[in-house]
Amino acid sequence: MRADHSPFKPRPRRSWRAPGELLNFTLYFLCAVLLVLSRIGHGAVADARDHFVDLTAPLLEAASVPVIMGRHTLARVRSYVGMVSEIDRLKAENDELKQWEWRAKLLERNVAHLRSLLNAVDEPALHFTTGSVIADARGPFVRSALINLGRDNGVRIGYAVINGDGLVGRTVDAGASVARVLLLNDLNSRIPVLVGAAGMRAIASGDNSAELKLDFMPDGASPYAGDEVYTSGSDGVLPRGLRVGVVTGSAGAFKVRTHAELSSLDVVSVLFFDTPALASTDPPAVPVAGPLSPVPEDSKAPAPVPTASIEPLPADSAIKQVGAADGVSPGEGMAQTQQ
Amino acid sequence: MTAALPALSVLFAVFATAVPWGLPADATFIMPLVVVMMVFCWRAIPDTVFPPYLAMLLGLLTDIMSGGPLGFWALMTLIAATVGGRVAPLTDGQDSNRLWLVWAAVAGVVASFGWLLASLYFLRWIDWWPIAFGALTSIVLFPVVLRGLVWIRRGRLRPGPTLYGRWS
Repeated sequence: MRADHSPFKPRPRRSWRAPGELLNFTLYFLCAVLLVLSRIGHGAVADARDHFVDLTAPLLEAASVPVIMGRHTLARVRSYVGMVSEIDRLKAENDELKQWEWRAKLLERNVAHLRSLLNAVDEPALHFTTGSVIADARGPFVRSALINLGRDNGVRIGYAVINGDGLVGRTVDAGASVARVLLLNDLNSRIPVLVGAAGMRAIASGDNSAELKLDFMPDGASPYAGDEVYTSGSDGVLPRGLRVGVVTGSAGAFKVRTHAELSSLDVVSVLFFDTPALASTDPPAVPVAGPLSPVPEDSKAPAPVPTASIEPLPADSAIKQVGAADGVSPGEGMAQTQQ
Repeated sequence: MTAALPALSVLFAVFATAVPWGLPADATFIMPLVVVMMVFCWRAIPDTVFPPYLAMLLGLLTDIMSGGPLGFWALMTLIAATVGGRVAPLTDGQDSNRLWLVWAAVAGVVASFGWLLASLYFLRWIDWWPIAFGALTSIVLFPVVLRGLVWIRRGRLRPGPTLYGRWS
């Protein structure tokens, strides 16, 4: 009676040594071994994965084209639907930005004057290359993206990745033609940041949700909602002054809402910011002696790009372009990465 | 029927998991669970060849594509393949509801086990909501996916009193 209603097949009792059962057991065991190897970060496993991702990159790139086009079409339809209210909002924003422009010019003059008084040295240029996201590698564990830039384009592990809105993440794997970007909201992402005008130090950590947590703030520190958060550069990996987001939440549970929309990335730029820390973890094929941020070998004459006064990154034709930004000081860097 | 057609259909789904859909953070678990669900369905559909090692390989491919720990989705697809292989073949009198019920249980187990495994892997409690949401969505999507696979299996959907009609 019970067997009649059971959704499972009545199976004869078989020894675990039967070929089928043995194969099943072996497969489960293999999965467990792979998980352990992955956990300990075995180099062979990581290399094999990189190699395979490199091989499948053209296929993924081709498959992502119609999806990205579909997303753009959907976004365009949405913008048409809300066009009237959007125009009103943009007009109001434009009025506000005009005031900010005047104030920014004033501050720019002041800064230039103070720099000349101090004989301040300009920081080295930041070179970058731009590519597009070809795969959305996100799951229960990871918030990452594959981009169509790799070691052939000068990309190495640890480089900061930005888009038009701000910091997106950093490269954690780099194959010949593709690289994996660990997004800011990934569980494994930890970034030293400065919060607000006072520049309170903290760590922005991802927890796989849409917002980042603010950890290790100084005792008694209490940022305000809306305070800007930007990279401090104290990790020796990321440049200082890259825009991250704004503070949200309340005391005890401060969070950071990222400027970049991490769930729908299209075009991103990789900043070639070489530091001693980076050189020790992922040494370049040809050791580079000299200043930070050398131009990669395949880079030709640096094109002008991320400064506030220049055109934003082209959406379609900018794929795999290489350029150079002017010096990134804490204040200027923020303005530059806005592009 | 050879294993090529089921394998290709699941392979297609694996690639679909890696394509940038722009889904919100809470919905990231849905696509991989659809892959697991397809493996379960192919194993449960009678007269279909879909060996467990193939399921594991496709799960491994999902791991590689997603950049997550190697072996996680391979393990999940293997669990689905094992359970799917033991579910009684559906016949005329037994519509998809029974299979749906079994999948609901499997999705619950896979989600709970996956959450525990992920927490163990990272040595911290990871957010359970995306996994639960993915499992719930996969349960809701089950009839659609099953119907699609039956269509692939037979080349067309036969009208009939039950979802499947006769298999052979």
